This record gives sequence, C-alpha cells and structure tokens, in this order.
Amino acid sequence: MADEVRLWSDELARDPSSLVFLPLAEALRRQGQLDLARKVAVRGLERHPHNPDAHDQLARIQADRGDLQSAFDEWDMVLRLVPGHVGAIKGMAFVRFQQGRLEEAERLLMQAQGQGDSDIHAAMDMVRRSSGVTYAQVVAGELATDPHLLFADILADDQTAIMLDKDGLVLAGAYYSADGKDVAQDVGASLSGVSDEALRATKHLGIGSWRSILFETEAAIVSLAPAPADGGAAGGLIVVATAPDTPLGQLRPLLDRCVSRAHAWLDLAP
Amino acid sequence: MSDFTAVLDTLIRQRGVRGSLVVSAGDGIPVDSNLQFGQDGNRVAALAASLYRKARRSAQAAGLGGTGFMQLEAETGRLCIIGGDEIVLVVVAERSANVGLIRVEMLRAAEALA
Repeated sequence: MADEVRLWSDELARDPSSLVFLPLAEALRRQGQLDLARKVAVRGLERHPHNPDAHDQLARIQADRGDLQSAFDEWDMVLRLVPGHVGAIKGMAFVRFQQGRLEEAERLLMQAQGQGDSDIHAAMDMVRRSSGVTYAQVVAGELATDPHLLFADILADDQTAIMLDKDGLVLAGAYYSADGKDVAQDVGASLSGVSDEALRATKHLGIGSWRSILFETEAAIVSLAPAPADGGAAGGLIVVATAPDTPLGQLRPLLDRCVSRAHAWLDLAP
Repeated sequence: MSDFTAVLDTLIRQRGVRGSLVVSAGDGIPVDSNLQFGQDGNRVAALAASLYRKARRSAQAAGLGGTGFMQLEAETGRLCIIGGDEIVLVVVAERSANVGLIRVEMLRAAEALA
C-alpha cells in the first residue's frame, strides 16, 4: 500500500488533473491520515467539481473526521449530480442517525431500499452497531406507554394501523373510521381467524408461507401481514389502512415498517 | 361449457396464472373452474371465498364500503380474488406473475359478470 501511495502521489505531482487523487485519498483515509486525505480530496475536487466519486470520497473522509454535517453536504451534492445514488443516500442516513434525527435516517434508508438496494438491512445493521440501539426500538420505547400510538409517527394523516393477536384482540395501534371513531375492536373481531385461513390456503396450494394480504375497498386499501411471532402476537395480524388512491407499490414498504415497529415494541414489552 | 368459461379462459391465458375459478360467494362452492395444477378446486374455492368474506366483513365493520380486488401474497405464489354478493372470481398465480395485469383482467371480468 505504501508503494501505491507513493506512486499515486508521484503521478498526481506530475499531473495535478489526474483522477488518481481518488484512490490516493481513499488509501490515506484507510491509513487514518484523515487530514492529508482531506487535503488530497479537496484539491481533486477543485479540478473536478462535478465528479460524484470525488464528493463521495470527501464525504467519507469528513464522516471519519467526525465532521458529520460536511459529510452530509457532500453526499447531498452527490445526489444532486447523480439522483438516486444509493451510497449517498445511505451515507446521509448514517449521518442523520448519528445526529439523532431518526425520522430522517429511516426515511432515507427506505428511499435507498426503494432504489432497489437489497443490501439495505446491512446498512441498517451498520447504523445499529454505531448507535447500539435500533431506531424502531428507540421510538417503540418512547411510545410503549401508550400502545394506541405505536404506529402514529410512521403513518400519514390518512393512514391507520393496528396489531391484533390471534383472537382478533387489539394489541396496539388505532383504527379510525372516516368519522373519527376508533373501530379497532370491530375490525379486529371481523378479521379474527384470517391468519389461520391464509395459512391453510397457502399450505393447500403449496405456495409457501403467506406474506401479505391486500384488499381494496371504496374508502381505503387495507393491507395485512403476519404479526411478529413473539410477545403473544403469534398468529396475529398487522393491519394497515391507507387512502384508496395510494399506489399499490407503496403499501409493502409501509407494511414492513409497521411490522418492524411491532417487532421492536414486542421485544421491549415486559 | 358454462356462462363463465370464456372469462376463465381469458384469465388462465395470463402469464403465470395456474388456475381460475368462479365460486359461489355464500358457501364457497365452485361454479366453474379452469385449473392447471393438481389441487382440489373445491378446497381452493372454499378457502378463497372464506377469506373474501372476512375481508368484506372487516371493511363493513370499519365503514369502508364495498370490497373490490383482494390479493394474498405468499413466498412462491398468489391468490387473487374479486367478487360481488353472489359470485367470487378466484385466480391462483405464480409469484412472478404480473399482478397488475391480472388485477385489470379480473376487474374487467367482474364487470362482465355483474
């Protein structure tokens, strides 16, 4: 590595416009020479201000230096240059999480997932390792005192969600009808047994475990997923209702977020 | 050949569709079917009709009005259902099937049958 650093340094001295500043800055960053790495990256950027890799490189260096806002700004620049850049979105999510801006962190990670990043769980793990606690656990812990509010912060005004046990009894959340009445118990009772029937149907058809059920009504789209199999929720359901004009493709991520929240809450339940 | 044969044939032609059934909504008895898999159509019909009834009941409980398209997604397949007061249309499809197209065809079919 030392030889490569020397070679790249020599090349950069010969040709200051060379893109070799990118691997050089990365090598210095990995060696922990962060101030030097930053200088190399900044000088490279002066000659290549529209190079997204250069902004991404500087963002990584700034993050390692602990200058999180500068790192965020650099990744923001990457996004301007390459909309949908998954690495930049994940980096920004990491910064926001470190700054305690949890809502934004999760929203950004979901955005990265929406860009087709199948490795998003690894990014989540990275964030979790750095903080020692999951976002869902933080919020679930805060909301544990009032189970009705378990899903409140991840739902829009025209969305509602509940978690039911296997008998259709409400464990958490609230289900409001159009006139503002909480009809969670009624909905729970009418959906009692759906999980068992879905299990029977999928078993009979040989199509594996059921993952979700969706049905469209005049006033809403209702999505169901199996409740986490712990904390007394096994065999239960997560029920999410959204506005009828919600794009169907957006329902699965929303359902997944509610399931994650339920999981964290059940983990924390006494 | 029943009144429903043409509708079922249209649905079965969709890529990834393994079976289509017309089912009595009240008792889950199959009225007509076109199955390309070795399963008991009676049981599929009963389970699908029961699931759809529960969905309708919960929609009524929540004041959401009538129920339209319904989909159960599993690891390797899907069950799509749409219906009215008397009959329910059921499609069994592979996971890779284009559910958007199936949904459109089922909505059309439901209109035709209404």
